[in-house]
Amino acid sequence: MKPAAFAYCAPTSLDEAVRALQAADGDGKVMAGGQSLMPLLNFRMTRPTMVVDLTKIPDLSFIEQRGDRVAIGALTRHADLEFSALIAERLPVMSAAMPHVAHLAIRNRGTIGGSLSHADPAAELPMLAVFYSATIRAQGPAGRRDIAAEDFFVSALATCLDPDEIVFEIEFPVLETHTGWAFEEVSRRFGDFALACIALSIETRDGAIVDARVAVMGVADTPLRLRDAEQALLGARGDAAAAFGAVVRGCVAPNSDIHVSADYRRALIGALAEKAFTRAWQRAAGGPK
Amino acid sequence: MSKGDSVQPADLLRPRHVGQPIRRTEDPRLLTGNGEYTADRKPDRVLHVAFRRSEQAHATIVAIDTAQARAAPGVVAVFTAEDVAELYKPIIPVSRMANYYATPIVALATGKVRYVGEAVVAVIAEDRYLAEDALELIEIDYAPLGVVTDPEDAAAADAPLLHDEAGTNVLVAREFKKGDAAADIAAAHTSVRGRFRMTRKAPLAMEPRSYCAEFDGRREAITLYTSSNIPGIVRDALAESLDLPGSRLRVVAPDVGGSFGSKGSLYPEEILLCVAARKLRRSLKWTADRLEDIASSSQSFAETIEAELGFDADGVAVALQADVTGDVGAYSIYPWTCALEPVQVVSFLPGPYKIKSYRGAVRGVATSKPPTGPYRGVGRPISTFVTERLMDMAAKALGIDPLEIRRRNLVRDDEFPYRIASGIIWDRTGFVACLDAAAEAANYAALRQQQAAARAAGRWFGIGLSSYAELTGIGSRIAVAPGMPINTGSETAKIRIDSTGAITATFGVASHGQGLETTLAQVIADDLGARFDDIRVVQGDSDGVPMSTGTYASRSAVLGGGAAKHASVLLREKIKRVASHLLEAAVDDIDVANGFARVAGTDRTVSFKQVAKAVYSDMKTLPVEAREELEASYTYDPINGTTACATHLAAVEIDPASCFVKVLKYVVAEDCGRIINPMIVDGQVHGGVAQGIGAALYEEMIYDDTGQLLSASLVDYVIPSAVEIPHIDVVHIESESAVAGGFRGMGEGGTIGAPAAIANAIADALAPLGIDVFELPVTPERLFRLIEIARSQQQQ
Ligand SMILES: Cc1cc2nc3c(=O)[nH]c(=O)nc-3n(C[C@H](O)[C@H](O)[C@H](O)COP(=O)(O)OP(=O)(O)OC[C@H]3O[C@@H](n4cnc5c(N)ncnc54)[C@H](O)[C@@H]3O)c2cc1C
Repeated sequence: MKPAAFAYCAPTSLDEAVRALQAADGDGKVMAGGQSLMPLLNFRMTRPTMVVDLTKIPDLSFIEQRGDRVAIGALTRHADLEFSALIAERLPVMSAAMPHVAHLAIRNRGTIGGSLSHADPAAELPMLAVFYSATIRAQGPAGRRDIAAEDFFVSALATCLDPDEIVFEIEFPVLETHTGWAFEEVSRRFGDFALACIALSIETRDGAIVDARVAVMGVADTPLRLRDAEQALLGARGDAAAAFGAVVRGCVAPNSDIHVSADYRRALIGALAEKAFTRAWQRAAGGPK
Repeated sequence: MSKGDSVQPADLLRPRHVGQPIRRTEDPRLLTGNGEYTADRKPDRVLHVAFRRSEQAHATIVAIDTAQARAAPGVVAVFTAEDVAELYKPIIPVSRMANYYATPIVALATGKVRYVGEAVVAVIAEDRYLAEDALELIEIDYAPLGVVTDPEDAAAADAPLLHDEAGTNVLVAREFKKGDAAADIAAAHTSVRGRFRMTRKAPLAMEPRSYCAEFDGRREAITLYTSSNIPGIVRDALAESLDLPGSRLRVVAPDVGGSFGSKGSLYPEEILLCVAARKLRRSLKWTADRLEDIASSSQSFAETIEAELGFDADGVAVALQADVTGDVGAYSIYPWTCALEPVQVVSFLPGPYKIKSYRGAVRGVATSKPPTGPYRGVGRPISTFVTERLMDMAAKALGIDPLEIRRRNLVRDDEFPYRIASGIIWDRTGFVACLDAAAEAANYAALRQQQAAARAAGRWFGIGLSSYAELTGIGSRIAVAPGMPINTGSETAKIRIDSTGAITATFGVASHGQGLETTLAQVIADDLGARFDDIRVVQGDSDGVPMSTGTYASRSAVLGGGAAKHASVLLREKIKRVASHLLEAAVDDIDVANGFARVAGTDRTVSFKQVAKAVYSDMKTLPVEAREELEASYTYDPINGTTACATHLAAVEIDPASCFVKVLKYVVAEDCGRIINPMIVDGQVHGGVAQGIGAALYEEMIYDDTGQLLSASLVDYVIPSAVEIPHIDVVHIESESAVAGGFRGMGEGGTIGAPAAIANAIADALAPLGIDVFELPVTPERLFRLIEIARSQQQQ
């Protein structure tokens, strides 16, 4: 389990990194935290001729408030998100999700840019990007472009990035008016990728939901924002958990794998939706945060 | 105290080490990264080996083209089976069993491949990277043959044969019989039955398999460093195979990072490394990566059992019938044979119970999968699962509490020694004491109340018991594996005090995590009268003792400990004789303790160092005939071995949303005889239970119909981590055995009891839905299906 030979460079600017990818002519791969790339190299499932290490590029690791958005640099480690006070305050669902990402040792190295670009269908950050309608910003030979998260994820382990494009930052709009939220995930073991997972956030007025955001993962080959479920929640009150569970169940068509069947996943996501609804509603009602 | 070891006053005065929770001597080195494992070896100009493994589950090897690989950068040699065939003799896992076919073990797949992951070609290169690059350049032309993955299908008359010479895929078939079980079951008041299944497991160790064959051109000798727990067996087998005497073939198991059975057999790669090192006259090294280790190390626990147990009206079990089919994989392994696991299932099915008549039939069927071999508990995790499930099913049918039905059937204290229906003899052990102790420690009555409250609230809460007994520390009268011709019944201890007064104790046992450096030193400290810190324990080196096998089958405390005791006493007598000269006192008045010999009741002492000086270095002090070398060796054979037993109790709750099983309480009450080190015993129980929980809830090797491995990584082969393992309470019942020291073996027990206890707890939790558990592991998916089916039936 040793990688095939590859060349390595560690540029100190984004421009230089893009040029290095261009020079590799489609056979280059950037490396950020290496947590997903290294296993792929060792299994020889990916065989780049050039590995472009991003970690020497300054200023790609930050978490900052930009008006009604939170901007995160692509090299920001999972652990930095997990322990950020700004994230906890402005993006509480992300804050709740981060401890579910792998294990602490992996969170110390893995980066948000790497997680999004790797696009595992059961990874938390891609789902959060979809959930928050994040803007993923990439630089390539033609310059910079902004990509809506829902357009970014194409299928399992595939994004719309060109081979010589690099994600440098992500902007997450804050759901300012939402007061209730929940994040529910089940994985086989502590730290495993999710069997199913749902994120929910709601705004209530006069005891009814007036705006909702719903995203799920582990039940399709990309994370999904469930607009039908969001619609169904409008006007709902505290007794809608079971109905919401049923709607979410109806929105997904999961796959079977060696761990669990499609039926199991569908049942599970429904049960998690019910739990999430109850939790979000409690929070919106001023219950325990 | 056992017979012949009567307590002398001095014994009472001496500081006792046996029984103390002494911290493990090996831990400072292992926990600070200073262990020396096989992969840490750095012989001169070592070459690295990589194996091209089969992607086919069953195929004829039509042609292999290695020309490009041979020419690749850094490659020194490329070997196929043909290239090395003349250099060694295949190793045959022979047995005296009838109806058994021994498949030869060869260094590389010969003629055909029989499972995905089987080594076909070896590349030897300057480094592992270059070796793996060259693997890709090898062209193998296969002609696919029929694949047999299901043992029932493989046993059919028209199934494709894995070993044509065997004439059948049924590599072994046996039947155990006492009385007329069928008639007794027909006549029984009540009988319960089921088709039980345990799926394949990988006994994964943290350290993958690793070998380093160090070639010494000056002596034409090889030292094989191996991550094995049977270095002695490996030495003897390779000496035969390579026609090398033990003086030129040394096998050493250095620090070994766990085995659990996966390193307890001889492997083709061990043959290949030695053969190739000799041919190339170079040192060679190979360490399996995780993929290779999962795909090619011995697997286990793959059985289907049809069983039926009959009871009288009082809940007394009267007759048991079972038909066991073992999926043994593509080869019989050395030395245990493919019969080890499935035959052990039928041997132990009657368990600790007084069942009068029995029929147990077993067949071990070859399939296109890796060979099965030992895994902690061997056979008994499954036999206990089946028998304990049947006990609970009967308890339910008869309206008897599960605790009570066991009490009615366990062999009682006044009934030992007791021969169970399969022929195994249990010596006096705390069967009932463990049952009672587990119930008491768990507060069984309160748990049942808790369950009633949970049930009333619609929650799925269950309690599971499992009682079992095992044979441990087996002596020469019983073969560890059926009909196996090598002696697994004795172990040697060699204890020496050198001219500096230092004590070195050499054993053939081979600790791979059990803490034998600590526990054997505890035994020696007491019986020799030495200071614990002065004793160095050396093990796992074939140069250490004339013959040995290693550490397996819960034997090392009994056999190694017994040998240590006897050798210590012999050496103590020598010390006394020298001391009697030095102290001018009668031998009988000398007492040895704490590294000193003392004239009893006085303060006249000599240290071991002074004794050693007088014997070895000093020409004046002792008469020549009194200068006896301070060394003693003893080979101990417990003849029959000892029984060990336990009762496990688990309380679980099932989450209806995820179908996950949460273990709320776990209690083990075990009898391992006299405890040498309670901290180590607890650690062994914890580790064993963790693996049993893995077998019950998580772990499963999944092969598809074409024999491809689908669970080839630790993402897909789900072993529980520390977080998934509950707190485990351990209660010790110390009823001393009749062997030296009163010890019983206990390394495997945790794994034996846990699957059954968890399965029973799950079935109990789901009793309101009428669900029984017949298949392990109870994964979330299986539980989901069971619950769906039960609910749809309830609705009808
Ligand atoms: C045992 C284990 C368990 C895990 N469990 C989880 C889990 O439960 N949930 C979860 O979400 N993740 C999990 N992960 C993945 C982990 O979160 C990774 O850190 C993450 O997926 C990749 O981040 P990275 O920075 O290490 O990326 P790398 O491994 O360096 O790169 C991954 C891929 O992204 C590309 N890439 C990296 N950075 C960029 C960029 N800025 N622009 C364009 N392309 C880029 C690389 O070329 C490569 O193809 C697990 C990983 C392991 C090893």
